[in-house]
Amino acid sequence: MPRPTRWWFLAVVLAVLGTVPYWLDNSYMVGVLILAYLYGVFASSWDFMSGQTGRENFGHALFVGGGAYTAAFLNVKYGMSPWWSLPAGGVVAVVLGLVIGLPTLRLRGPYFALATLAAATILQRLTIILWEQTGGEEGISDLMPLVSSPVAFYYLALGFVLVAAAVLVLLARSPWGLLLRSIRGDEAAAQAAGVNITLHKIGALLVSAFFAGMGGAFYAHYQLQVGPTMFSITVSITVVIMSYVGGIGSVYGAVGGAFVLTLMAEALRKVGEFRLLFYTLVLIAILFFLPRGLIAPLWRRLRNGGSAP
Amino acid sequence: MIEIIIYGAVSSAIYAMLAVGFTLIFGVARVLNLSHGAFYALGAYFTYTYNGLLGIPLLVAAVLAVATVAALGVAMERVMVRPLRYSALAVLMITLAMSLLIEQVLLLTFGSETQNVQSLVSDKVTMFGVDIGGQRLLALGVGVVLISGLWLFIQRTRLGNAILAVSQDAEGAQYMGINVNRVFGGVMGMSAALAAAAGVLAAPFSKVEPAMGLLPMTKAFSIVILGGLGSIRGSLLAAAVLGFSETLVGYLVSSSLTELVSLVVILLVLILRPAGLFGKHVAF
Repeated sequence: MPRPTRWWFLAVVLAVLGTVPYWLDNSYMVGVLILAYLYGVFASSWDFMSGQTGRENFGHALFVGGGAYTAAFLNVKYGMSPWWSLPAGGVVAVVLGLVIGLPTLRLRGPYFALATLAAATILQRLTIILWEQTGGEEGISDLMPLVSSPVAFYYLALGFVLVAAAVLVLLARSPWGLLLRSIRGDEAAAQAAGVNITLHKIGALLVSAFFAGMGGAFYAHYQLQVGPTMFSITVSITVVIMSYVGGIGSVYGAVGGAFVLTLMAEALRKVGEFRLLFYTLVLIAILFFLPRGLIAPLWRRLRNGGSAP
Repeated sequence: MIEIIIYGAVSSAIYAMLAVGFTLIFGVARVLNLSHGAFYALGAYFTYTYNGLLGIPLLVAAVLAVATVAALGVAMERVMVRPLRYSALAVLMITLAMSLLIEQVLLLTFGSETQNVQSLVSDKVTMFGVDIGGQRLLALGVGVVLISGLWLFIQRTRLGNAILAVSQDAEGAQYMGINVNRVFGGVMGMSAALAAAAGVLAAPFSKVEPAMGLLPMTKAFSIVILGGLGSIRGSLLAAAVLGFSETLVGYLVSSSLTELVSLVVILLVLILRPAGLFGKHVAF
């Protein structure tokens, strides 16, 4: 018999995060939190596709970078308002998702994982090769910020991650989410039950790409510049590791994973160049010792008042 | 024209060494080894360490480097991959984690600047009126010898037949008394050694840096997809297709577009014939 959900715990977390600019007089740390929220969007959108359907996307940076470069092109080259960047970044990411998803997701096997990894790597090379358009290694700078005040930016980012995570969690818990998880459980059985698995896998990828692309555009208007590293395997893998720490398939866990890992990496800032090494060691430890992840099981336990999920 | 043929053949040989190892470990153990590119980088870096830092003669250093990476491959299969074999996803993730780990360790040990690895053959050879670096020809020759050796080994020896048996049906092979785990370990070692050899041979004429393996590995992906995952014959043919078409695109269109070739190949193959040239069916 499940005990009543302890919503007050969620309320406390939200209250603490919602008042950060008032008690944390440290603009640097506020910036770190904003990054954590944006990574929360990236990770939860990754988990929505890969966690629900079990198809590992190793090139999520493709969507993040696609959104970011779209924002840079529209804003810097064509002088459009930064607010257009968010939907445009999402749409461009959806198109990229179609290009990668249509040929690979109708197949079984590791093709999707390989193609996403390859596509992101090659797009990163292309941003350097086509330097006349993309600015090469330097990237494109002098983007306009979405809003000028840092406090407003903080609330915008917090609102963004909350809305994105809420939409994705609701979708994951909807009948459609159940259908997606049936694909992860047994693709052949789902197909035999009359589910058009290809259609739904691609649909999930497009939703995931849309949020990642919007997140990438948001990120671009926060950093005020974009570069080839937006497409790097580091971004893709960081997102995957955050979802693993969060607990694959829970979606909200990925947001927690992004939050915890970003703050932990920040605490280890003195060893800044070890950051990816640290993430990698965390991933290996999770794979061996906590295959269900850390955040989602912990959260369920807290929520249910101490009883195991 | 002659240049296109020779340069195309050299990159085909390097790609073939990478792709055959990649497809071998997949075909036999169903392990999609994402640290394959890291093995390639390690080959170059161990050669640099043994020769450039410890002063071991270059040829010995190169052989030692390949042996070291092979041993690492065996160890990685035993310690990291085998305990996670219950889940294909976990295996994929652990090989990815290992590749990042290797890259980061290389970055922290040697820094991000590019290192110089000496050529085994520094002379230029003039063939059909074209100057070709001796190291490139060596890469081509060694590649052909290694791959033919591997082919003969698999087709003609008892151990090779055991590998074939495991690749066809691991459980059935186990009933016949084949130690499947040892075959997995051995194949991982061979696959790592081939990748390292490619790295050693290509090092003098490519940028030796910690992330050097990533792009060749994505090329290897497109080759094995084109050839059919798990098929050695297919990978050889596909390596030639990719090597020559990249060189052709480089000469005829623009060298900046060569990187796109492999991505286009992946997408085209997956749309037109997902099983690849020689794959009997789509993998899994």
